[in-house]
Amino acid sequence: MMKLRVQLQCKNLHEYLRELSPEILDRLYNHPATCLAVYRELPSLAKNYVMRMLFLDQPLPQAAVALWVKKDSQKDHDECVSVLAGLRLWHSQQLQGGLQGYILNPVFKDNLRIALLGGGRAWADEGSSLGPDRHARDIESLDRYAMERWEVILHFMVGSPSAAVSQDLAQLLVQAGLMKSESGEAPYITSAGFQFLLLDTASQLWYFTLQYLKSAQSRGMDLVEILSFLFQLSFSTLGRDYSVEGMSESLLTFLQHLREFGLVFQRKRKSRRYYPTRLAITLAAGVTSSSSSSSSSSSSSTLGSTPGAGDTGFIVVETNYRIYAYTNSELQIALVALFSEMLYRFPNVVVAQVTRESVQQAIANGITAQQIIHFLRTRAHPVMLKQTPVLPPTITDQIRLWELERDRLQFTEGVLYNQFLSQTDFEVLRDRAQGLGCLVWQDVTHRVMVVTPQGHSEVKRFWKRQKSHT
Amino acid sequence: MASDDDTNLLVIVVDVNPIWWGQQAQREPQFTLSKCLDAVMVMGNSHMAMTRTNKLAVIASHCQDSHFLYPSKNWKGGDGSGDDASSSGDGKYELLSVANNLIAEEIREVMSKTEVRGNSTDTMLAGSLAKALCYIHRTSKELEVGQEMKSRILVIKAADDCALQYMNFMNVIFAAQKQSVLIDACVLDSDSGLLQQACDITGGLYLKIPQKVALAQYLLWVFLPDSEQRSQLVLPPPVHVDYRAACFCHRNLIEIGYVCSVCLSIFCNFSPICTTCETAFKIQLPTMVKAKKKKLKPMS
Repeated sequence: MMKLRVQLQCKNLHEYLRELSPEILDRLYNHPATCLAVYRELPSLAKNYVMRMLFLDQPLPQAAVALWVKKDSQKDHDECVSVLAGLRLWHSQQLQGGLQGYILNPVFKDNLRIALLGGGRAWADEGSSLGPDRHARDIESLDRYAMERWEVILHFMVGSPSAAVSQDLAQLLVQAGLMKSESGEAPYITSAGFQFLLLDTASQLWYFTLQYLKSAQSRGMDLVEILSFLFQLSFSTLGRDYSVEGMSESLLTFLQHLREFGLVFQRKRKSRRYYPTRLAITLAAGVTSSSSSSSSSSSSSTLGSTPGAGDTGFIVVETNYRIYAYTNSELQIALVALFSEMLYRFPNVVVAQVTRESVQQAIANGITAQQIIHFLRTRAHPVMLKQTPVLPPTITDQIRLWELERDRLQFTEGVLYNQFLSQTDFEVLRDRAQGLGCLVWQDVTHRVMVVTPQGHSEVKRFWKRQKSHT
Repeated sequence: MASDDDTNLLVIVVDVNPIWWGQQAQREPQFTLSKCLDAVMVMGNSHMAMTRTNKLAVIASHCQDSHFLYPSKNWKGGDGSGDDASSSGDGKYELLSVANNLIAEEIREVMSKTEVRGNSTDTMLAGSLAKALCYIHRTSKELEVGQEMKSRILVIKAADDCALQYMNFMNVIFAAQKQSVLIDACVLDSDSGLLQQACDITGGLYLKIPQKVALAQYLLWVFLPDSEQRSQLVLPPPVHVDYRAACFCHRNLIEIGYVCSVCLSIFCNFSPICTTCETAFKIQLPTMVKAKKKKLKPMS
């Protein structure tokens, strides 16, 4: 099977953690913030399991746990059991009577208790030890700052001349496959990059962070330290300053990177305090919206509509395929233009038309219909949000149909057999392949047939035997 | 819309009746009001830790008034106003420690400020529930477009029922039912007929806990799951509901009584004029009995 398009895969936190090695997981649970973040990612039933067992010090018999759910939700129960075991949150343990029992991972249990009820060490030094900040920032200016920083990255991706980013960041974009650079030339955007642009801010941020984490280990950074800090940031209070006291050298470098992404605000590089921005705080929340996967088509707009978390609520889509985008941001206009034809442009609004050609052009660039629809939905104007469904179904259906039009060819890998000497030879081999169920295609007049790669060795062996017989 | 993105509001109404808690402290010194509030805080923290969108409110129900413990008036609310309420300086999640400090501060104030005057020793439970409903209504109005909110009320009931509040209580219950707000009840002492009805009508859970000391575990076990998760879990079976109504004249609980045909008021004994809607009943019951007797006489 040949892959036609490279789909941008956005994993959620759970999938990411499952890939980590057990030692790293166990070390991760040493921090209350990560425990809380992992806990929030669990399926709701599993959350209740953890809560029920949080204050128990003895293992519970597995049979008793199985009786917690009703008979018809047995499937959910099995899923919870495997998730909890997969993340090493609970272990099986032999009970005294010889029964198998479950017990929560003691490190996780202790740290989740600390996160909920207090005790232990403070997560981070608060700014209070530094005294009040003379240049204190309010929430609006933090929001503005975060958005500006983030847009610079997006602008850089679309190649706006005004946007400049650091060498590190440009390299990261290339490593993430969002941009490509050929020797010495300025990097340019890839099809994955286009797909990335159409995501909502929270998903963009999470995708980007995942890529960063992937490269972090190769930079010699400690993954556990970084992840703990990241989760700690996401549970901090907006508009409050924190001190960099007691942070290691690699964490300080990480902080500088976060500063560049707009996740934290630091007045000067050497400043002793930093403010987390809304981007950092919504980071752990953005984890859940795996918006690029087509399954969760109704990924909610609540995250996108967090004020300041994205340039939200400016697009109106009408059933006559017209799009009105109330924005003057060059970037957003460029994004709309990716899949539509521009009609008029005014100081505060652009009018565009979605056509078959424009959508197919976008699809040829590697963007999927799902991503276009998701883009329109997450940036829908408040007026649009009042109606259900948010987008007119005619438009969404038509965009999907236009995508399907391109999918008329299906690629199948195979092995070609030709140059048969006689018609009987061909027929014998063809019938054999048909019998094995691995015949993909045949042409009797030209004595040509194709079998699947799995069936190839069997068919070949048969043919060798056949030849030696005659 | 994905269910985990919905806002979930939990309003906990705690009965802080000083008389009952005073007696309780003498009966069982290991379970006092502060222990109960600790359990409430554990419950509240667990609820808020579940997802980012979960919200919490705590109301203390006293003899004369009901008081918001969280979010309180002294606190500006929203994000970023954590200047006055600093975190506890340990490993607790900042939001939770701010909330817990507030609750502790407020309850201290409530208990020290209010003195019990006169003979009104019943808990203002109906008033607190009404306040909770108002708060739920306000919060749902403040939501952004396209967002939905599920809310429920958890009552932690200590003192006995008060038949005087029957009318107000039933009104609150039906209002809650109309707004599809669940009412859960966790009863510490004696069974409460009013709350049984409230839970039955709104579809909530009613539980009289056998061991008061284990309150926190009962709360986490039974009352923490929201309505969606409850459909999957095995939970205590519904209790037999005491559906007796209180009469409007003497506030007695009665099984059979007189009902006004106009306003449906209930009375334990007959009166010719309804005290609620002032309807005069033309067909008097005693004459009907006489008429029957007259008919009966020729037969015998």
